[in-house]
Amino acid sequence: MRHTGRDTRRAGAIIAITLATTTGLTACGFGGGTDDGGGDGGTTLDLLVPSYSDATQGLWEDVIAGFEAENPEVAVNLQVESWDNLESVIATKIQGGQAPDIYNGGPFAGFAADELLYPVEDVTSDETYADFQDSFLTNAQVDGVTYGLPFIASARALFVNDALLEQAGAEVPTTWDELVESAKKVSALGGGVAGYGMPLGSEEAQAEAAVWLWGGGGTFGDAEEITIDTPENLAGAEFIQRMVTEGATQADAGSTDRTPLLDIFVQGKIGMQVGLPPTVGQIAENNPALEYSVHPIPTQDGSPFTLGVADHLMAFQNDGDKQEAIAAFFDYFYAADVYVPWVQAEGFLPTTKTGSDALGDEEALAPFLEVLPDAQFYPNANPKWSAADSAFKALFGQLATGKPAADVLAEIQAQVDAG
Amino acid sequence: MRAFLRALPWIGPALALIVLVVLFPIGLMIGNSTRDISQSGIDRGGVGLANYAEVFAFPYFWPIVGRTLVWVVVVVGLTVVISLALAQLLDKAFPGRRFVRMAVVVPWAASVVMTTLVVHYGLEPYFGIINAFLVDVGLIDRPEGFGWTRNPGTAFAWAIVVAVFVSLPFTTYTILAGLQTVPGDTVEAARIDGAGPVRAYFGVILPQLRSALAVAVLINIINVFNSLPILRVMTGSIPGYDADTVMTMIFKYLQNQHRIDLASALSVVAFVLVVVIVGVYLRVVRPLEEV
Repeated sequence: MRHTGRDTRRAGAIIAITLATTTGLTACGFGGGTDDGGGDGGTTLDLLVPSYSDATQGLWEDVIAGFEAENPEVAVNLQVESWDNLESVIATKIQGGQAPDIYNGGPFAGFAADELLYPVEDVTSDETYADFQDSFLTNAQVDGVTYGLPFIASARALFVNDALLEQAGAEVPTTWDELVESAKKVSALGGGVAGYGMPLGSEEAQAEAAVWLWGGGGTFGDAEEITIDTPENLAGAEFIQRMVTEGATQADAGSTDRTPLLDIFVQGKIGMQVGLPPTVGQIAENNPALEYSVHPIPTQDGSPFTLGVADHLMAFQNDGDKQEAIAAFFDYFYAADVYVPWVQAEGFLPTTKTGSDALGDEEALAPFLEVLPDAQFYPNANPKWSAADSAFKALFGQLATGKPAADVLAEIQAQVDAG
Repeated sequence: MRAFLRALPWIGPALALIVLVVLFPIGLMIGNSTRDISQSGIDRGGVGLANYAEVFAFPYFWPIVGRTLVWVVVVVGLTVVISLALAQLLDKAFPGRRFVRMAVVVPWAASVVMTTLVVHYGLEPYFGIINAFLVDVGLIDRPEGFGWTRNPGTAFAWAIVVAVFVSLPFTTYTILAGLQTVPGDTVEAARIDGAGPVRAYFGVILPQLRSALAVAVLINIINVFNSLPILRVMTGSIPGYDADTVMTMIFKYLQNQHRIDLASALSVVAFVLVVVIVGVYLRVVRPLEEV
């Protein structure tokens, strides 16, 4: 054994280099502070929002310009992040004591549980609050207190490539059995055409999961309890596996993300896929020649159902000194003449009564507004929903890689219970 | 001690920097690994070693560690072997050598994420250029191509290819620098003594590359072990944990599950692991001892 002092020193140097290079990933938990309280004794509101489309930033800038013109004593700082980064940005900011004043996101119950949010009634006028549709308000409550302002809504529907279905001699399905049959006929056309486009990849696996699990009578639980591993959900999970194994879907469904797959649908290579209101605009822009129609999502017994999703705005308390400015901002934003153009430009559905009235005769939105009364929502009010959401994204696609459906659901349930 | 105090004004800034950007984050990371931190980032108190227990109890933990070792050994091994050959080529005088040497630097100059994304898009079914090529030459009979990055095994293999590709320039140049220090007369002497090219390479040149190789391998081990972007892009859409290494798992704890506490604990484990790998390399290969 030749252990010289030189070896030890070298080993020490190597450890130092290793240290310096390994610690980059998790230790960056301090957000940069930008909030300096605003100039001229006024108030500055920090607004953190995700990007829904390339137009999002411009739409917000217009809103802010209008608001600041009406409220010269309040300045608004806009920060736009991609959906992929949004949740880690907000977690980093909260950990660093730099929470935004207004935040636009999905899950809110975790923040409410940590007592970070204003109840919505404290930061809106009575008129604004009363204008929200009741189903959306219920969906935004924790223990009867509303913490999220319903922001925009979307509903899912089945987009059907009429040309492909006609070529394959298939009918538009309303039940699961019909769906398998039609999808297989379309898949049999060959040439890279897939019958049903099933995106179980991490991007939005929870949505595709809800479409089939709930369509078979399952649920993800309620405000008290998240229930994934149930016999009702198993029926839907096994149906997904049936679609995959019988060749009714595109290849590698388990790791296919929704957005790229929807592009393939728009190109006309997929028979059927579940889409959103903005999909209509996407087809009009990229492939107006596509012959398609929009139908309710097939369910096990053919009863109508859709997955509704509402994103929320929420107001963080921080030092508790900006309540009035926040209320002024919300009251300005939710006025129909500001709010409706915003929602319309992004191609979503409004969550206010006046907004729905204003959009009532929009033809492209009609199929979605039609199914909205049958909408079911994610259990947003449950603080554990956010863990469940992540678990679906990370694990649900394993259904398509041959793992038994019961094991996949059990694994998701276990991750939720541990979170 | 007095000598240290006299030196302090000169080494002071460097020390301060090390404390700020190395020691402080490490302390924070180790601290975080023993706390219970909520999903939205609130510290809910100390939990001792419970986070470590949870990390080790995770059913996929050992497969992930095993895959990390495969990842490090295969990427570093392939990189070194290919770099040795490349360096030998670049050491010979030939017309246009200057341009070839520059071309070898390109993967180094390009952003790793960009390089990986280019390959990733090429491998996409329906529109990827690599898939289109494989379909056109008849190697794949499905018209939309094969989902290379959609299956754990193939995605991991392609990640290795990209990792080797981006590691080549640094390794090649380190070895090339080593080759410049090999005195020409030792090779000539070997030749006069009757050694063929193979014997001369393995008996004379390679031993003299020992210290250059040691640097190249050590830095590559640490770099490859800590590499997140390539695996993140190539295997990111795969469900479950069948293509994860320790680094992507840290990322999943952080990004998907918002478990800053678990991510910190696994980071500490990762650090110990890379020290062990480097230690094993130093003990088994003894690259730092004199020839």
